Amino acid sequence: MDHRSPLERVLRALALTAIVVFFMFPIFWIVLMSLQTNETILRSPPSMSFVPTLKNYAAIISGELDSNAGSMSIHFMNNLLNSVLLSVFSVALALLLGVPAAYAFARHKFRGSEDIAFTLLSFRFAPPLLVLLPLTLYFQALGLANTYLGLVWVYQLICLPLILWIVRGYFEDISPDIEHAYRIAGHGWFATFRKIALPLAGPGIAAAGLLAFIFAWNNFIFALVLASADKQPVTVGALAFVTASGIQYGQIAAAIVMSIAPTLLLALWAQRYLVEGLSLGAVKG
Amino acid sequence: MSAQADMPVLRRSSRLSRTLLPYLLSLPALLVCIGILVPFVTAIYYSLQRYRMSQPWNRGMNWGENYLNFFTDSSFWNTLQVSLVYAGLTVGIELVLGLAIALLLQRRSRVNNFVSIMLLMPLMTAPALAALMFKLMTNPNFGILSYFMQLAGFQDFRWASSPDTALLTVILVDVWVYTPFIMILLLAGLRSLPTQPFEAAALDGVPRFEQFWRITLPMLSPYILTAALFRLLDSIQQFDIIYAMTQGGPGNRLMVFQVEAYLNFFQSTNVGRSAALLLILWAITYALSNVFVKNWLRLRERAKGGA
Amino acid sequence: MSHIKLKNLVKRFKDTEVLSGIDLDVPEGSTLVLFGPSGAGKTVLLRCIAGAVEQDDGEVRIGGEDVTDVLPEHRGIGMAFQNFALFPHMDAFDNIASPLTACGKTADQIRAGVDTVARLLKIDHVLTHTPKALSNGQKQRTALARALVSHPKVLLLDDPLRNVDAKLRFEMRLELPRLLADQGATVIYVTQDYREAMALGDRIAVLDGGRIIQNGTPEEIYRRPATINIAKLFGDPTINLLDVVPQSDASGVYATLSDCRIQLDPGLSGNVGRECMLGLRPEALSFTTANEGVPVTIEAETPFNEKAVTLVTTLRKREILVSRPAETPAPASGTAHITIDPRDAVLFDRQTGVRLDPNGTSHAAEKAA
Repeated sequence: MDHRSPLERVLRALALTAIVVFFMFPIFWIVLMSLQTNETILRSPPSMSFVPTLKNYAAIISGELDSNAGSMSIHFMNNLLNSVLLSVFSVALALLLGVPAAYAFARHKFRGSEDIAFTLLSFRFAPPLLVLLPLTLYFQALGLANTYLGLVWVYQLICLPLILWIVRGYFEDISPDIEHAYRIAGHGWFATFRKIALPLAGPGIAAAGLLAFIFAWNNFIFALVLASADKQPVTVGALAFVTASGIQYGQIAAAIVMSIAPTLLLALWAQRYLVEGLSLGAVKG
Repeated sequence: MSAQADMPVLRRSSRLSRTLLPYLLSLPALLVCIGILVPFVTAIYYSLQRYRMSQPWNRGMNWGENYLNFFTDSSFWNTLQVSLVYAGLTVGIELVLGLAIALLLQRRSRVNNFVSIMLLMPLMTAPALAALMFKLMTNPNFGILSYFMQLAGFQDFRWASSPDTALLTVILVDVWVYTPFIMILLLAGLRSLPTQPFEAAALDGVPRFEQFWRITLPMLSPYILTAALFRLLDSIQQFDIIYAMTQGGPGNRLMVFQVEAYLNFFQSTNVGRSAALLLILWAITYALSNVFVKNWLRLRERAKGGA
Repeated sequence: MSHIKLKNLVKRFKDTEVLSGIDLDVPEGSTLVLFGPSGAGKTVLLRCIAGAVEQDDGEVRIGGEDVTDVLPEHRGIGMAFQNFALFPHMDAFDNIASPLTACGKTADQIRAGVDTVARLLKIDHVLTHTPKALSNGQKQRTALARALVSHPKVLLLDDPLRNVDAKLRFEMRLELPRLLADQGATVIYVTQDYREAMALGDRIAVLDGGRIIQNGTPEEIYRRPATINIAKLFGDPTINLLDVVPQSDASGVYATLSDCRIQLDPGLSGNVGRECMLGLRPEALSFTTANEGVPVTIEAETPFNEKAVTLVTTLRKREILVSRPAETPAPASGTAHITIDPRDAVLFDRQTGVRLDPNGTSHAAEKAA
């Protein structure tokens, strides 16, 4: 493998460059746009020479946006806050529900355990609207429509299978003898769960939580169907933003950058676990 | 016989409480399950009804009529066709590209690791937001991609706004977002393959191209299958990218299942038809997911054995 | 008080029975060695006693009380695992201290308890290390210390010397009997090493295929093994096994080896004419200078430290091993004669592999003992 011809090296380098350009260019370009005024964006031909400005970000943060029809107030920061709240609470709930269940599935092969685990897995693959549309009617009846609680509950559709299946794998990797040893030493099952199983599966739980956060953050359809403007996360909020006429393009770009930055940074941090998480534990990275 | 003074009385626990423990631990997750299964059953019920929210007086069971109507409903066949074409093209392109990139990055080196981390970025971008990014880049006034097209000699290339190129545009976004998914799965698969067959083949002087066909591809096939099925399951249900880009337009050019069902429900308030559409989609995904789960379990066992 | 009694213990995994009706009685303060090949069910049996695995049938009694419904943490047992099962995220001190923290001891009591047992096992200098930083021998001692630290009345040791190197195993084999005696606990010790079994056990129970095949003192197991298999598992060099057909005449029952009579116990007269195997321990054979005894040809001699083993062949080319204390005289080559002490000969049914008891009761009596 090490005896590569010079031609092959050059071709390889070219291919790698093309790949990086293709996949990084859109992000790079949107970041550039977010640092420009409308005037420089609209120049033809497009150019990369401009004086960067943070005005777009300032406008987004203050909520006072310039448009060609004058100033209007859109609280994109509110969407950002919603994204944070929804993702954090969804993951917290999914961990609270999913980790004990994952432990039960990993340690006790009780009747129906596999069926339940696979039912949860199948949620990951069922068309979300199938559940969401009837749910809108139920939510209205239950008073859950347009509440954080209702949304957090529905977000379990994405977070719970992920956490359940990844964390279960980590629990299964712990030798049962280690837990038996702690029990025999005189500790109850809960102490064993807390002092042995949880710390040993800790990295896996953290990774699963992080991934669930990313998926919750990136979700679009749940909030589109179930949330009205004041509860919408960035994914839905940004869409409304674009369709609102006359907003400056730089500001849209700034909003997009602020919306994707958190998940990109988290992904960099959790990259070691991404392969495992994305394949629901089928492939180890 | 009974407990002596220096022997603490043995604390007993009932057999029942021990059998119940795992159920209790998984009960909360189970309840959430049930909460989600109820709307599923409701959806089946709706799909068997004549049910428009705008005509509540006209509501009633019509049994299979919603489904039967699909046979003569050209917009249904359009939906089915668009969904299948979209899923087939995206997964096909992503597989070829993803495999090629994975092969290119197979060897562990600093550059390769850097590239594979960079490639995670599109995958971690919300698909809806990715669509918006491309919407900005394909804007006819200032979009950089429109400008490139102009340079390439395509005047007035209208991307998603033209029925001719709308599908191409959303596929481009899908490929941009999800190729890295297939790539990192296959890369992990490639790197987990045993090296002996390759060393043996190299010693025997088997050309590298032939090594790829005769060794790499067969050994990688479970990973390829899992990645492809995984993506197929998601792609046939694609909503975010298409809705954010064109809401199914122009016309009904991009009316895939979920977009069609969404618009049926919220715009034409035809709940019955919407539910029937989604159930057909569900049947397709259910069949696919059964195949998927089998492969996925096999890989999962292998990953655990190798760890 | 800590007398262990198992009654008809049954454990199944799916459809296979891994323990089929185990009866066992371990008097308080004694050590029982569970001996058997891997897969015999030794580990599962230990886990049933500890409560880590629940039996499907039968009962476990500790100190006269049925503990079936007692959770493992309340059985008052100390256990050492074959793979050590140390808590990887805790240092050696916390590992050893874990049984003490469970019963609400003060920090001072815990420190004192851990220090005592750590000194005893010579690991007091590595208490701050995590398991990863410990050598195999230190891991094994840490696991043992954890089992001993709370002075449990019942000690279950699952092949604790399996995963340590030969030198350490040798040392521990010398150390352990004293250590266990000092504890005063009732001990069940699992091993696959017959020397360990002989050195440690007050009694040995031989387990195979989920059943106890023989339960007796080390002496009994060695001298009167219930089956050919057990005879082969105990002893090094392994027992000589020769096909014979017992015969009888006026002077009693005998078998012939190279035309020489080997007198057998008269109680075996019921087995005349049966296809049998004669088991002769190598150390029960000795060379003789006289011309009586079985004539053999010396093939090779292997000297060990404490003994020398000679391979000889009979007239019909049957191979026999003869063992004698080192430095005792023996012919070096050529032909020689060996004598056999008939009291050391054991006779097995060739078909069933079961030992034929001189009193005709086979080994059933011992099994019940």
